[in-house]
Amino acid sequence: MKKNRTKIIVILAAIGLSLYFLYPTYQDYQHTQRLEELSGADSVAYFEEHEEKIRQARLQRMKLGLDLQGGMRVVLEVDITRLLDELAENKDDQFEQLMEQVRTEAARGEEPVLDIFGRTFSEAGIRLSRYYGSIRDTDEQILNNLQSNADGAIDRAIQIVRNRVDQYGVAEPGIQRMGARRIIVELPGVTDEEEVRQLLQGTAMLEFKLLREPEIVFTVLERIDAYLAQEQEDPDALEDIDVDTLETPEFDPQLAEEEIERQHPFLYYVRPDQQGTGVSYVAEHHRDRVNRILARPEIRELIPDNFQFVWSANEQFISEGREYYALYAVHETPELTGGVITSAQATIDPQYNQPIVTMSMDSEGSREWARITGANIGRQIAIVLDDAVFSAPVVRSRITGGRSQIEGMANIDEARLLEIILEAGAMPAPVAIVEQRTVGPSLGEDSIRRGLNSMILAMGLTIIFMIVYYNTAGSIADLALLFNILFILGVLAGFQATLTLPGIAGIILTIGMAVDANVLIFERIREEQVTGKTLRAAIDSGYAKAFSAIFDANITTFMVGVILYNFGTGPVQGFALTLMIGIAASLFSAIVITRVIFDSLTERKGAKVSFG
Amino acid sequence: MRILGQTNIDFMGLRKYFFVVSLVVIMVGMGAIVTKGLELGIDFVGGTELVVEFEEAVPVGDIRAVMTEAGFDQAVIRTFGAPEDILIRTIEMDHGDQRTRDVILSLLAENFPDNPTIVLREDSIGPAIGAELRRDATMAIIVALFAILGYIAIRFKFVYGMGAVAAIFHDVLVALGLLVLLHGTSPYLNLEISQHIIAAFLTIIGLSVNDTVVVFDRIRENLKLYRSWSLYDVINKSINDTLSRTIITSGTVLIVLVILFVFGGEVTRGFAFTLIIGVIIGTYSSIYIASALVIEWVNRSQQKAKAAHKVS
Repeated sequence: MKKNRTKIIVILAAIGLSLYFLYPTYQDYQHTQRLEELSGADSVAYFEEHEEKIRQARLQRMKLGLDLQGGMRVVLEVDITRLLDELAENKDDQFEQLMEQVRTEAARGEEPVLDIFGRTFSEAGIRLSRYYGSIRDTDEQILNNLQSNADGAIDRAIQIVRNRVDQYGVAEPGIQRMGARRIIVELPGVTDEEEVRQLLQGTAMLEFKLLREPEIVFTVLERIDAYLAQEQEDPDALEDIDVDTLETPEFDPQLAEEEIERQHPFLYYVRPDQQGTGVSYVAEHHRDRVNRILARPEIRELIPDNFQFVWSANEQFISEGREYYALYAVHETPELTGGVITSAQATIDPQYNQPIVTMSMDSEGSREWARITGANIGRQIAIVLDDAVFSAPVVRSRITGGRSQIEGMANIDEARLLEIILEAGAMPAPVAIVEQRTVGPSLGEDSIRRGLNSMILAMGLTIIFMIVYYNTAGSIADLALLFNILFILGVLAGFQATLTLPGIAGIILTIGMAVDANVLIFERIREEQVTGKTLRAAIDSGYAKAFSAIFDANITTFMVGVILYNFGTGPVQGFALTLMIGIAASLFSAIVITRVIFDSLTERKGAKVSFG
Repeated sequence: MRILGQTNIDFMGLRKYFFVVSLVVIMVGMGAIVTKGLELGIDFVGGTELVVEFEEAVPVGDIRAVMTEAGFDQAVIRTFGAPEDILIRTIEMDHGDQRTRDVILSLLAENFPDNPTIVLREDSIGPAIGAELRRDATMAIIVALFAILGYIAIRFKFVYGMGAVAAIFHDVLVALGLLVLLHGTSPYLNLEISQHIIAAFLTIIGLSVNDTVVVFDRIRENLKLYRSWSLYDVINKSINDTLSRTIITSGTVLIVLVILFVFGGEVTRGFAFTLIIGVIIGTYSSIYIASALVIEWVNRSQQKAKAAHKVS
């Protein structure tokens, strides 16, 4: 036993770690089962009661691929031809004609679109300054500008898409940049094709909206709070009561948490800031609950006209490990829309060494902007892209000439994000859908069921065969096989990897391969026994001699896995991932675990282990 | 329990016959590819692919008639697993202003009004992506071949690396040929070349090498033990030594794959089928291609060396 102590510790640690990683998945399964059993109001109540735990488990569970749970995968590509078309001014027939030529040639995809574009126009003898930039610019300058605009388009498109998907409320969306011009969007559980197309391809809407006066905001918040409190106390009495007469008790921070929650069912979740600006903060895990409350028709009636709640796009601060989002109350009618912005630039202010964003507007926008800022000095104006607030700077003074400076970003990355957002509102970032895959939820369920069934059946047969053929040794190999599966699932859950259908196929294949290592060893031990060696000696040399074959064979298969992972996409990668994890896990369980078991079984003198 | 004891079969004596067998099978497969053509899945050609479930089974011919009339005469239409489930694939993504899927779905709704459909799966892939996937898949196979050649050449000898790679080529060609021959012979066998099939081919490569390496490992070991023996005898003994393991491992993997084939559902069926072919061929080729070619090459270079001696 002693010489194997380290090995045993490693084995136990691996088992413990796998179970630890898989526990949230188990919890999530339990919650889902429970939620399915309950119906209507009961399930909502259960969800609200365990909301935090459910979210936590869901966050850490093993992810299922779109092919298993249903959903959409969309690959978007920045459409340079459309971008050029949308950026052009004073378009005439000749422009349209030349663009048509560019489009046909670009479809062949042999040359960068901008090269084709530049060549087509110069061959036709048309100066680009007729449609882009100012009259004095040379073709080269304009092409450079267009190039940098095209390069920025992917950043703008990603921000727009991410923002919209967040607002749309998809659980666990995946948004990933692929190469220089493509974005992969994965939306689990979403199958409404038309809606998603509009969501991803529509033009971005940037608006400047004035924040509502703090006093009004407080009144509205308290009114909602009082309404909900009354509803809890005595829901029947609500109909006869004039909401405006409802009183809320003073907010007393000394009270116990539960007491506050009971007295203030809304303000407990929505906490106005201390400075009295009318902005409130909500913990990330309460956002859905607040949205649900605000969406209720009775609550909507408590909210005045031209009054809109909008969320901050990103978390504002973290307190006690929780992310907090800001909830702004703004005028529904925008003061100005993003079309007037001509450029935005993030820089470091040399004077104060602070990150700032400078923004310029066209002449018409500048005039409006001067009026708006002049009338609202000291108030906050929210910069809203597709219904999410990215910044809400305070107006310091009347801004004439259209050049504004926005301060208060924590770092240059935040400033850079705001720059992209402002540009997204001003400049087009047209995207085309180049790949789209949708799996209906019923097919997904069917796949899971079939995949699991085949896995269990394959395992069962393999286990029986090993015991029949190798007797005691076979059952030890079976034990190792079970641990092997546990490790594969544990690693998948631990790395937050996604389990796909080809992934399950990979695991099933690993079951077959894992057996191979043990078969090699056991056959070798049998051979050694034939030569008359003692049991221990036969085991020792059996393991030693089988090792090089197992090692070389697994390394080559592993290499194939690595190559598959690097060159494959989506489904193939899922298969490659489980294959690689499976090979590593099966090497460990077939060589280390079975060895330790054999060693401890043969420790006593005269012990017997049957190899069939 | 024991299926096989120590055997003493003269495997290598039969190698010339099996060279002929392999050659014939490959030729037949290639013939099938030339005459029937490879059916590439949507991943590689681009277009729109819909899998719809009708409430009641509809004859494929009826759907094809409707589609042909509407101008989709190139469309692939067939059942997908169950007779109610129909797969429709066209090479177009857009149909005029409308999207192809909408055109198809409204066609079905018009012509089969009492038989509503639900969309089980739908893929649309642009032509550029299809071309990229084709390139990536080819690259993956080439890189895998070189990596394996390199690794085996380092761990064993260059001839062995060549033997293993030749075996892989053999396996891929035979499997591809059989796939094309069998594609479409049964409504349950849809063996078009999709990403899944490419993954299956790469797995065949892995399994084939796995088997070959186990035999080579034994040859490497026996060459040291039986220094006076001829290579021919050492290889024969090594194959006999590992035979029991080869049969048991291939057998268990086959059991697993057959289960996946029967119960895994339509999506993994083609994948499992390709692998079943691959495992059988891979086991065969580790003996009659990889090992046999090593003997041929070594013999030939020895003869050359002798001939060179005589001349000098």
